Amino acid sequence: MNNSLWTVMSFTMRNKLRSKGFIIMTVVLALLLVVVGNLPYLIEKLSGGSGGATKVGYAEGQQAQVVEGLKSYYAKLPEPGVELVGIASEEQLKSSLENGDIKGYLTFQEDAAAGFPKVTYNSKNAFEGGTSFSLTAALQQVKYDAVLEDAGLTDAQKAQLYTPVSFQTQKVSFTNEKGKTEAEQGIAIALTYVMIIMLFMAVMITGQLIATEITAEKSSRVMEIIVTSVSPLKQMWGKILGTFLVAMIQIVILVGALVANLTLPHNSDILKGFGFDLSSIDPLLLIYAVFFYLAGFFLYATLFAAVGSIVSRTEDLGQAVMPITMLTLVGFYIAMFGLNQPDSTLMVVCQYIPFFSPFLMFLRIGLAEPAWWEIALSIGILIASILAIGWLSAKIYRVGVLMYGKRPSMKEIVKAMKAYKV
Amino acid sequence: MNPLKVDRIIKNYGDKRAVNGLSFEVAAGEIYGLLGANGAGKTTTMRMVLGLILPDEGGIRYLGNPYSEQQLSMLGYLPEERGMYPKIKVSEQIMYLAQLRGMSRKDADKNLKQWLEKFQVPEYYNKKVEELSKGNQQKIQFIAAVIHKPKILILDEAFSGLDPVNVELLKTTVKELRDEGTSIVFSTHRMEHVEELCRNITIMHRSNPVLQGPIKEIKKKFPQERVVVAADGKIEGLDTIPGVRQVTLHEHGGYELKVDSPDAGQRILKHALDQGPVNRFEVLEPTLNEIFIKTVGESHE
Repeated sequence: MNNSLWTVMSFTMRNKLRSKGFIIMTVVLALLLVVVGNLPYLIEKLSGGSGGATKVGYAEGQQAQVVEGLKSYYAKLPEPGVELVGIASEEQLKSSLENGDIKGYLTFQEDAAAGFPKVTYNSKNAFEGGTSFSLTAALQQVKYDAVLEDAGLTDAQKAQLYTPVSFQTQKVSFTNEKGKTEAEQGIAIALTYVMIIMLFMAVMITGQLIATEITAEKSSRVMEIIVTSVSPLKQMWGKILGTFLVAMIQIVILVGALVANLTLPHNSDILKGFGFDLSSIDPLLLIYAVFFYLAGFFLYATLFAAVGSIVSRTEDLGQAVMPITMLTLVGFYIAMFGLNQPDSTLMVVCQYIPFFSPFLMFLRIGLAEPAWWEIALSIGILIASILAIGWLSAKIYRVGVLMYGKRPSMKEIVKAMKAYKV
Repeated sequence: MNPLKVDRIIKNYGDKRAVNGLSFEVAAGEIYGLLGANGAGKTTTMRMVLGLILPDEGGIRYLGNPYSEQQLSMLGYLPEERGMYPKIKVSEQIMYLAQLRGMSRKDADKNLKQWLEKFQVPEYYNKKVEELSKGNQQKIQFIAAVIHKPKILILDEAFSGLDPVNVELLKTTVKELRDEGTSIVFSTHRMEHVEELCRNITIMHRSNPVLQGPIKEIKKKFPQERVVVAADGKIEGLDTIPGVRQVTLHEHGGYELKVDSPDAGQRILKHALDQGPVNRFEVLEPTLNEIFIKTVGESHE
């Protein structure tokens, strides 16, 4: 009679997939992700496409040496971010800024102690980050040049001085011979982040959905007919699996939209420039991601189903699922904290707690280097608790669906379980 | 062998006994009345018959077999509290429920169309349940209970909330199902329906079956205590006849008398005839309603 499990599943799926809310939400989210997927390209296009260099004005004749230095610095750059524009007099600077001829202008103030004038960049917007960084770097260079000119260094010595220090970080790995490169590390962090957020959302949205649907079935009393047609266990799992598959379909559509756009040539080149290469994802990490995602989902889904079954009215549901929501939130926030400190004691302890381990164990596998037995122990505990909680939830579900009226207390549920002999 | 055999079932909820040693059998093509005041244990009994909860003691046999998942497909259930998925099309949810009972989608679809045709509402096929009136929702729910042609059908307050036309329609349908050989357990508070439909009944009171058997025999056990007599004019001195306890004048003429024993009826008739022609005289059997109130009500404190 596995037919009935399939019947419940397909009924759940059909109704979800057909509902307007679901379709609209998926389309909107997919469009959003298409935009996000093209973000690297758009950012580049927008920042590069705003008429080339920012025009910065200066009063002609003021600090001619510094201005000349700046001009020659920007002339050497392949893509100068700043173009210096000479304006006849200091008074006209402000009006040119107002007209929009220039984006900002420089004023100088003699500073005898430093041996270099104080420079102020005046612009309409106080947060012209890019331009001021560029100008600061340029001015520093001009200052070096001015000082070094007097020191009598050779050009070779100057070049040596300007060469930046070579510095790289590499994570040491003990299980496989080669450590992760920075690119792999970056991808691992990104994947961890994505997985944790997806799991969190799946649990919150899908879990709530399962609970709501069960309570709705109960409050509309369809439940009375359903429980007499199919065993409650099958019904519960049919519901969970059906909702899960719908969530999967949605995720595949959304992730597909994102990845398809990210791998478009114009985007992937830019991402590679940032050290992001989607093909450098460790396949083992992906397997772990899928496993912990599934484990986390089913652990919470059965709990939500159990809670949904003991509540008679949808109005009471929010309060009843609160403890589970709290658990998810705690797991999520520990994970957020752990992104920076994957080896802290809190993480090492919490990776064994089943409600948190889907978030935390995966995070540690991605970002730290847990020993094999840590992974095995965590997975073992997780699987054992999924089975235990699934079993317990099924029992609660069995009695919960027949109990109407006010939300029963723990004691009443236990009593009912004894009475119903489940 | 009777399709449904309930044998001395006992069910306790904690220290409270919900059903105490109830036995009954329902033959093929029989409607069995299960009566009782609210909280008498009817719902628990029906839940046990449906296999939702197991009896602590005693057993229930379906065509001679004990309860198992295989029996589910031959059970049909119309719960007292009506409910369907409000936002889902009639066809969609009836087919779902039918499939859960082990029917194929195709057969379910065919049966559903026949049933809608029978209830003269074929246009509901593609409607959402929330768009239908309460009475029509009830028809749909009735279809959901019988679409898989159950051998054993449990109807809990099947006709409540329906207008007289629809009550008649459903009653006819229930009778048809009975004539096709379905065993029906029927629970209601409307005694006239029980009198019309049921052959045997059980009246439950506080978890105990207090009155059981064929309606005819049950009625014989209760004395005939009511006499109706009517003439064109007034009948004087009815209350002076020995054995008459109470006289009520009916709104549309005629008197209803409560008597101690059936033979008081003859004295009443004679007395009335002495005063002129009588156009109505009847010694009434006790109604089930009276029997129910007597059985259940008397022990109420």
